[in-house]
Amino acid sequence: MSALLKKDWFGLGLVLIFGSILISLFKPAFISPFNLYVLMLSVSLMLVVAMSQMIIIAIGQMNLSVGAIGGLVAISFTGLMEVYSMSILPAVLIGLLIGLACGFINGYITVKTGISAFIITLATLYIFKGMNLGITEAQPFYEIPEAVKFFGNAKIFGPIPYLVIIPIIITVLMWILMNRTSLGRYMLAYGNNVQSSELIGISSTKIVIYAHVISGLLAAIGGMLVVCRLQLGTPNIGDSWLLPSFAAPVIGGAILAGGKVDVIATAFGVILVSIISQALVIFKIDPFFVQIFLGFMILLAVFINRYREYREERRTKVFSDE
Amino acid sequence: MGGIKPPFFMNNKIPNFVKTNQFGLLILVIVFICIFSFSTDGFTSRFNIYALSRVVALDIMIGLAMMVVILTGGLNLSLGALGVSAAMFGGWCMESMGIPISITIILVLAFGSFLGWINGFVTVRTGVHSFIVTLATMSIYFGFMTLLTEAEAFRKLPEAFTDFGSLKLFNKYISPLLIISVLTCFVLYYIFKYTDIGRKLIAAGANPDAAELSGISVDRMFIYCHMLSGFLAALAGIMLTARIGAAIPSMAGHLGFDWLLPAFLAPVLGGTLLSGGKVTVFGTMLGAILVTLINNGLYLIDVGEFWVRFFLGIILLGAVLLDRAREYFTVKNSIVS
Amino acid sequence: MKKFIIFLTSIFALLASPVFAGGHGVTKVALVPGGPHPYFAAWEQAGLDAVEDFGLGKADYRVPAEWDLSQQNELIESLVGQGYNAVLVFPGDAVGTNKILGELDDAGIPTAALAGCVEQPTQAKFCFGTDTGHSAYLGTKELIKALGGKGKIAHFTGFLVDPNTTLRINAVEQAVSEAGGGVEIIQVIADIDAYEPADEKINAFMAAQGSEVDGIVTTAWVPAVVAAQALTNMGDKRIKMVGIDHDEVVLKAIKDGYVHGTMLQNPYGQGYIGSYVMDKVRQGCEFKADAPWKSTAQTDQFIDSGTVFVDISDVDTYVMAMRGISLEILETFDSTYLNCPS
Repeated sequence: MSALLKKDWFGLGLVLIFGSILISLFKPAFISPFNLYVLMLSVSLMLVVAMSQMIIIAIGQMNLSVGAIGGLVAISFTGLMEVYSMSILPAVLIGLLIGLACGFINGYITVKTGISAFIITLATLYIFKGMNLGITEAQPFYEIPEAVKFFGNAKIFGPIPYLVIIPIIITVLMWILMNRTSLGRYMLAYGNNVQSSELIGISSTKIVIYAHVISGLLAAIGGMLVVCRLQLGTPNIGDSWLLPSFAAPVIGGAILAGGKVDVIATAFGVILVSIISQALVIFKIDPFFVQIFLGFMILLAVFINRYREYREERRTKVFSDE
Repeated sequence: MGGIKPPFFMNNKIPNFVKTNQFGLLILVIVFICIFSFSTDGFTSRFNIYALSRVVALDIMIGLAMMVVILTGGLNLSLGALGVSAAMFGGWCMESMGIPISITIILVLAFGSFLGWINGFVTVRTGVHSFIVTLATMSIYFGFMTLLTEAEAFRKLPEAFTDFGSLKLFNKYISPLLIISVLTCFVLYYIFKYTDIGRKLIAAGANPDAAELSGISVDRMFIYCHMLSGFLAALAGIMLTARIGAAIPSMAGHLGFDWLLPAFLAPVLGGTLLSGGKVTVFGTMLGAILVTLINNGLYLIDVGEFWVRFFLGIILLGAVLLDRAREYFTVKNSIVS
Repeated sequence: MKKFIIFLTSIFALLASPVFAGGHGVTKVALVPGGPHPYFAAWEQAGLDAVEDFGLGKADYRVPAEWDLSQQNELIESLVGQGYNAVLVFPGDAVGTNKILGELDDAGIPTAALAGCVEQPTQAKFCFGTDTGHSAYLGTKELIKALGGKGKIAHFTGFLVDPNTTLRINAVEQAVSEAGGGVEIIQVIADIDAYEPADEKINAFMAAQGSEVDGIVTTAWVPAVVAAQALTNMGDKRIKMVGIDHDEVVLKAIKDGYVHGTMLQNPYGQGYIGSYVMDKVRQGCEFKADAPWKSTAQTDQFIDSGTVFVDISDVDTYVMAMRGISLEILETFDSTYLNCPS
């Protein structure tokens, strides 16, 4: 039990459960099947985006180009199907390939030049988004195959959409990666302290590039999932990813300096953000307030994390004093 | 500033300045000016130069506002939201309260510093990276601003104020706003180079632990940096208000995002280290000039507007890499010798 | 250096010569939207057609790289250097754009606001476009009619910082209040000008209020697309929706019966006629003192480019209908609005 208490995701989980019960007491519509379906959809999409950022946070960097990669892949994916009437599978593969290439570019340049990833991804954000606009001239692609539309719209059974399948698989894989593989441990070690990890003989080049490639792939998947959901390939996809991509891992206790991320807590962070933005609509909160509310949410999460760390520090101090 | 040892064979003949980041930037700026003047029609027209001087003025100010927070090893994402909030406050003072211009400006700068203080205080007290703190305050400032103003602009500002924004100096080539920005650069340079407090700020940013040991209150220095950032962002807000002739909630885009790119690019191109502890006031100035030039030139060259962003990204990446290469070779040279 | 100066002066001389030689010179119009957006795409062809039909020098569609007032200003400033001598602009801000228009006027370049207006006082010669508030009002009226005069409606609209948003919210409220007590606005969702947040919020709304709400009016492009898509996905034909603009998703939803109709604007006509009028203005035409200007909340020098409601009956033929409106405006424009030197 006490081991459970120490987990990052435990407190968040409690907040989620009690929060949901509270909301559904006031607004029974909250637990209606359709609302659960809508909730699962928005969680699914943001989950992939949050994971894409989380893995870069794990190595102590930031990836500002997550949304730009997602957008570029989204329009490439739909463009290939509409303009070149490509079938779905090769279009998906090329989409993934583009995401991989974008991630590789980010990682390679960052690690080879030693320039902060923040700067590199700021520049590539412009490059990827610029390619997106240059190709589309701001016009959306509309011709989406029925199968894709079906995947974004249909339910497996009850309120559960098909769209959740891939994000759940990704979350599980990410958990395995971060907790059960040596690559994940190396990434965290690298994020914790670049120098000491280099001393024990991990190639930092590989770690950084792997992290960025995975981030690029996840952003690509996110972009294509949004296409399934929206049923059109608009150049704007990904524009609004930046804030939530950071908010979820941070609410989940990630430290931006690197070395500490928690996949489950990040997932809970995503669910929390989704529930809150939905609750704001359900309770008809004045739209002018929504912005302020989100800001205070992030601050609150920050304070809580800080408080827990503080308590932990005190506890370890007590032990070491003994 | 600079920080890279000159190679041995250059020691006597070439001044240190040549090896600095600023010099590389200066060369780039000159190269781009040449390219654009020769390859496009309107680049050197009076109208264009005047317009450029105004854009540069704002970009410098925004860049400086970011630079002083980067000094602490942090970031200030709330910069645009803060600047617009301060500008809207100024609009309210002048239009609704009828407060004279000079007092309004003082109030706005104080207000900006106060918002900066909030950023700094929360950052220092929680020990959380300022990226997250200012991510939150960005939403909060901007949200309160839209809530209080109901997204209405202040457009009946005193004429003396708005006329200043469209004043043309030096044979109608230069905006007075640029002079404000350049003056601010000199003041900041003086502060960082020659005053006690400036040196303390840099020491705190460069090595917080060592600074703490030598008796500098690092927390207080970091809060000062955030306040200075708020001050400069508010100044940028005032300048933009004068330039547009009205205080408008959307003048820096949604959540003030439009300011973020120039804010980061100018100091980073200028050689400010993101890890903190190093500022380059004139580097930031040159960085802002370079970005503005490229943006303007891309429109003039007519690459097709939809591709402007793409080329901007490529050129920026190129500039950063080039700077890196220059640094690499100077360091290598100095090691070899 | 000396050579450089000589070079520059010669460039200036070259640049200046055609202007002096040709009196007014040929008209080179720039059509500048607020940023990359599918609404304005028709301006490109409209400009090309205007060049051909009216013998302009140029009528180019020039798009700022981002939706951003200062980007738009920078683009417009650079256009002057490129020799454009008339500018049609969708104002990046109803107030903020005035300053640059004033500066263009000082430089002898006539301007006008296209598709959306700038607030007076302004140096823009006129505003030719859609009265956003009125369009929202008409759309709501159509919705109320479809609902039979009673029901609960929701309003989805764009960024709160956009002054048009406030105009639209007020206009919808006005239409509702005029309907007597039968109609009630149960929710306004704003700040959704991006697809993903719009998708999230609109679907959350459907989940919470979907069974209560009878009608939806959308007054911005993105919410219209997303709401139309949501209704199509749900297969809901009970909720009546009136959208805005001509996105394919909205038009298809109308054909399929999920959306009641949409308030169309006339982007092609705006670009085509706008370019024509700028040429006339450059040839010395003045606007008549007694021109039958319309007044909006923003300006009293407004010319309506036409906004029509289309539903399933005329959604296939709307292009022709719009062309008809454009030709009508064009035919009578000179005699109605202009005094030209003979």
